[in-house]
Amino acid sequence: MRQNVSINVHHLTRVEGHGNIVVDVKNGKIEKMQWQVPEAPRFFEAMIRGRHYSEVARITSRICGICAIGHTLASVKATENALGIVVTPQTVKLRTIIKHAENCDSHLLHIYFLVAPDLFGAPSVFPLVPTHTEVVVRALRMKRFAHEWGSLLAGRTTHPTRVIPGGLSEYPTEAELKNLKKRLIDLQPDLDATVKTVLSVADKVPSFERQTEYMALSSDKEYAVYDGVIQTVMPDGKKQRWPVADYKSCTNEYVVPQSTAKYTKNKMASYMAGALARFNNNYDLLHPEAKKLAETLKFKPLCFNPYMNSVAQLVEVVHGVKDSIRLLDEVLGAGYKPEDLVKPKKFGRGQGAVEVPRGILFHEYGYDDKGMCTGGNCIIPTNQNHGNIQLDLEALVPKLLAAEKDEKAIELGLEMLVRAYDPCISCSTHYLKVEFKR
Amino acid sequence: MRYIIGIGNYRMADDSIGLRIVEHIVQSGLDKGFEAVGIADEGMRLLSYLENETERIVLIDAVGLGLAAGEYRLFAPSDVRTTKMAQGLTTHEGDALKVLELARNLGYPIPPLTILGIQPGDLGPGMELSPALQERFHTYLEIALEEVQRD
Repeated sequence: MRQNVSINVHHLTRVEGHGNIVVDVKNGKIEKMQWQVPEAPRFFEAMIRGRHYSEVARITSRICGICAIGHTLASVKATENALGIVVTPQTVKLRTIIKHAENCDSHLLHIYFLVAPDLFGAPSVFPLVPTHTEVVVRALRMKRFAHEWGSLLAGRTTHPTRVIPGGLSEYPTEAELKNLKKRLIDLQPDLDATVKTVLSVADKVPSFERQTEYMALSSDKEYAVYDGVIQTVMPDGKKQRWPVADYKSCTNEYVVPQSTAKYTKNKMASYMAGALARFNNNYDLLHPEAKKLAETLKFKPLCFNPYMNSVAQLVEVVHGVKDSIRLLDEVLGAGYKPEDLVKPKKFGRGQGAVEVPRGILFHEYGYDDKGMCTGGNCIIPTNQNHGNIQLDLEALVPKLLAAEKDEKAIELGLEMLVRAYDPCISCSTHYLKVEFKR
Repeated sequence: MRYIIGIGNYRMADDSIGLRIVEHIVQSGLDKGFEAVGIADEGMRLLSYLENETERIVLIDAVGLGLAAGEYRLFAPSDVRTTKMAQGLTTHEGDALKVLELARNLGYPIPPLTILGIQPGDLGPGMELSPALQERFHTYLEIALEEVQRD
């Protein structure tokens, strides 16, 4: 076993935002093993106080540029809950299709651009351009389609405009929905090719297991992404449910010295949210084609390997495409037409939850009798995963040390583990830094 | 089609300058003869606008130019080299120049593209522009509107 290891990954690459991994092993003893999140608080809950209910989702959608649809949906659902608004079945179906679009878009980015370089042994996607041109071109083609799929219904996928309390502000035409369905069907060759690509590197997915609790939205009717109740599944397979209104009793936020982000826990010391958590909770309700893929990959619940989160994302891409085709058939078959917004019936307090790419997302707001926001609370999935990442790292390091891995291999193994969670820490700036050529 | 495209993170003060100009254009109905698009912190969406039919793109972004806060430069991607150390394409590491490099390597058509680079004063968490950028907001707007219509 290696006696001395010092790893300090400052600003881990290929994750969204800032996170550090620090490992210090002296004379075979782990003296420090930390997943650190040094992002600054963003105070969105304070920013929405005093704002009219029609403005709140516009503001909170800015929490994330990747999951802007998810934040909009969770926000609008919480507001509708507070205002006694029950949207129509058509709205629920169209919003579910929008949710599938966002999850597929983000999953494709994660699988192809953030995880694939590790599996192909490359530092980033750039070295893969000459060696795996077809894969990169396919990835970009699929990602562009997912973006157009979401934009058609949500107005745009970054800070969407059409999802508002009471329904949708604008509607695509019937012809546009039919064309979307055709494009979803036509995606099959790219889906098949993606599965082949993943199968070709499946043996590179590290084998590591740690039993934990998995939390996701759940429904008796469908593989929940837009609606449902909170459910966790324990390592022994036992499941327990809570209404969304009780989200605080199963998230139990707390703070730790090494991180500015809040951690959460429920029955165990930590829980996992995200694609693997949804897969473990709701496998039986996956579309048959998605289940078939999971079977091909010999992937079944309960799976305790966090690296398989990326594989669960691929299964969800297939599910999202197939389920959207089903929903479009239902919407078009039921006399699709633009609908008026459902008006508020009261003002009070309400909660909303959806499944964003990285897991279950909660929003809660209160409104006074003029419809002005009196306060809010958002619990994002990346924060819910920090505690689980920490405990995974603590379990993984001794195994890597025992396997006599060198420092670089240990570092890569730890980085891949964190990347598997697809954390979105969201404090990133995007600015260019250049010098002019002489 | 012509595009003004804003990139940036809405929550990180001056990093949002491109997004705020795009929002202003759309809300004021100034988007005549071109489309104004905010792609936030997902720079790869820039690829969707690299098409044979695209006549011109003006990209607005916060750029570390080594100038005083609020100063700006109009330049083509070929005029500069990136000095960022990051190699990847996540929203954290990636930038428009990286995306354009990827596009070039994959044979995407690169239409005439100008970057309106604005030196940020504050890239910390915050939902407002720094005073230096607020003061010149309408200057940036006019430059972008003029540039996107240029033949």
